[in-house]
Amino acid sequence: MAGFTVTEKIMAQQSGRDSVRPGELVWVDVNSIMTMDYLGKSTFNIFDSLGAKDLFDRDKVICVSDHLVPPPTERFANLLNEWREIVKAHNVTHFYDFGKQGIAHQIMLEDGHVLPGTISIGTDSHANSYGAVGAVGNAVSVTDAAVAMATGKGWFRVPETVRFHITGRWQPWVMGKDLSLHIMNMMHWNGDLIYKALEYDGPAMSDLSMGGRISLCNMTVDLGAKNGIVAPDEKTQAYLNGVAKGDWEMVSSDSNAEYEAEYEIDISNVGPVVAKPDNLDDVVTVEEVVGTKLNQIFIGTCTNGRVEDFGIAAAILEGKQVHPDINMLMVPASQTQYLEAMHKGYVSTLVKAGVAIGTSGCAPCFGTHRGVAGDGDVVLSAGNRNMKGRMGSKSAEIYLTSPAVCAASALTGAIADPRDLPMPENFGVTYGE
Amino acid sequence: MANNLKGTVWKAEGYVFAYDIIKQEFWTSALDKEENSRWVMGGVHSDFDCENGFKSNGYSFIVAGHNFAGGGKSIEHVITGLMGAGIKAVIAESFSRLQFRNAINYGLPFITCKGIEAIASSGDELEVDPISGQIKNLTTGEEIQAAPVAPFVAEVAEAGGLISYIQQAIKEGKVDELR
Repeated sequence: MAGFTVTEKIMAQQSGRDSVRPGELVWVDVNSIMTMDYLGKSTFNIFDSLGAKDLFDRDKVICVSDHLVPPPTERFANLLNEWREIVKAHNVTHFYDFGKQGIAHQIMLEDGHVLPGTISIGTDSHANSYGAVGAVGNAVSVTDAAVAMATGKGWFRVPETVRFHITGRWQPWVMGKDLSLHIMNMMHWNGDLIYKALEYDGPAMSDLSMGGRISLCNMTVDLGAKNGIVAPDEKTQAYLNGVAKGDWEMVSSDSNAEYEAEYEIDISNVGPVVAKPDNLDDVVTVEEVVGTKLNQIFIGTCTNGRVEDFGIAAAILEGKQVHPDINMLMVPASQTQYLEAMHKGYVSTLVKAGVAIGTSGCAPCFGTHRGVAGDGDVVLSAGNRNMKGRMGSKSAEIYLTSPAVCAASALTGAIADPRDLPMPENFGVTYGE
Repeated sequence: MANNLKGTVWKAEGYVFAYDIIKQEFWTSALDKEENSRWVMGGVHSDFDCENGFKSNGYSFIVAGHNFAGGGKSIEHVITGLMGAGIKAVIAESFSRLQFRNAINYGLPFITCKGIEAIASSGDELEVDPISGQIKNLTTGEEIQAAPVAPFVAEVAEAGGLISYIQQAIKEGKVDELR
């Protein structure tokens, strides 16, 4: 009999079955449920309508303020107040509000609310990030989240798994983000990845940092997949030690697991890449767009707002100045990431170089918070989406890329290849070691 | 779940993003079929970008290519808006999983059908049976077989959606039986 993939094993275990196969619809136990400011009130309202007496477990419903803080408008301030009121009324243990805020997915991971071998869900699409620690992470609607808050369960279709086996050595400046966009370019939105579990393994995945794994799993939702997963290893253990809220089991795919498709990528051949405006699957190598004039650069989001992203930008911008034509904004993904970037000196290096630093949160990524794009702006972003109007004006163009390409481009005012820069002496930031 | 649905189809050209089905200014509006239907599809085509711009056409079906309602938005207004506008089923090459879930949770048939784009044009009359997956173009006489819906999906639709399904399970103390 064929073996099972890591996603199938987790779904079998969490649904109390010996095994499951793709296509089955199963109810599974959910380890933790995240909801956040702008959809959280609807989630609790639906929960209240279900007739459950209490939350299934007050420690496992994680509430985060991220899209609306600090409120940039009166409307957002009012939404935030309503959200606070309803969270407090439900007596949850973990509420990360103003001052302790950050992007929900980053907090879920860095504070150990996601455990290998389990299933966690969230009411924001980038909940796929949770796969970085070897969990099944899934974005769901407010209805699904409310049902799970009442029952501790959710229904899922067991997905077919597509395997990406990553070999070779990472070139300097090439990050998890580049691999993600490279795969988007390989596969397009032609249905091959839609509803699939994407499993990343191989020697180059062992080399990839936890931050890089988070970027990679984070964007599986943008590829159209159900979830992305990296089986846990020593790096995962080290990441979770001391923060994990509970015990976990190391789980991985059987060597004879059945995949719907398998692809091998030699990462040595992948350089920095850029998604061109409007469609995420319109990806080119950085060489093809070098010299494209820009006026805004943004590094942040749940995809690339972590300490290592600040580190690579600081390594490139140290002792230099952002080009006068560029407005450059960087926003940490959470207060924890902010503090660590400060301790390491990255924040002062960046501020001296002329970078504006925003308050931890989702920032302008979704187009309604500080730092939005105006008419005709040409933005280079380390975020996750580039459809028309995503960051503000419908006539703004958004190029998506890695923090390394963003920082290199900040020096010249146009898209630049970081590999053309001299290697900084203090280049201690590694994505693949 | 109703079978033998009949009505007129609107066929999309290119990707249809959830962002365009419900434009960003309506993301935080209340989940209400009537309200959401007034502005549904506003970003998909300039003809639909006004009050009742899509709804007033009286379409019953949408036919689309890959990744219908993609772009990674989980908002349920996409489904309530389409239902409020009179859409009885969406038939596409593939669907974004977030909205595929939402459609199941609300009992709106999202039918996966390879080749549907080739046999349907805007304005054609279709007959659709979600349970069996049989689709007939009454205008051209062509027929095609789509993926039939799973029994669980029909069960949720029969209950009137996931919320009623779960309310009933909680009331009857049957939550532990959900497997």
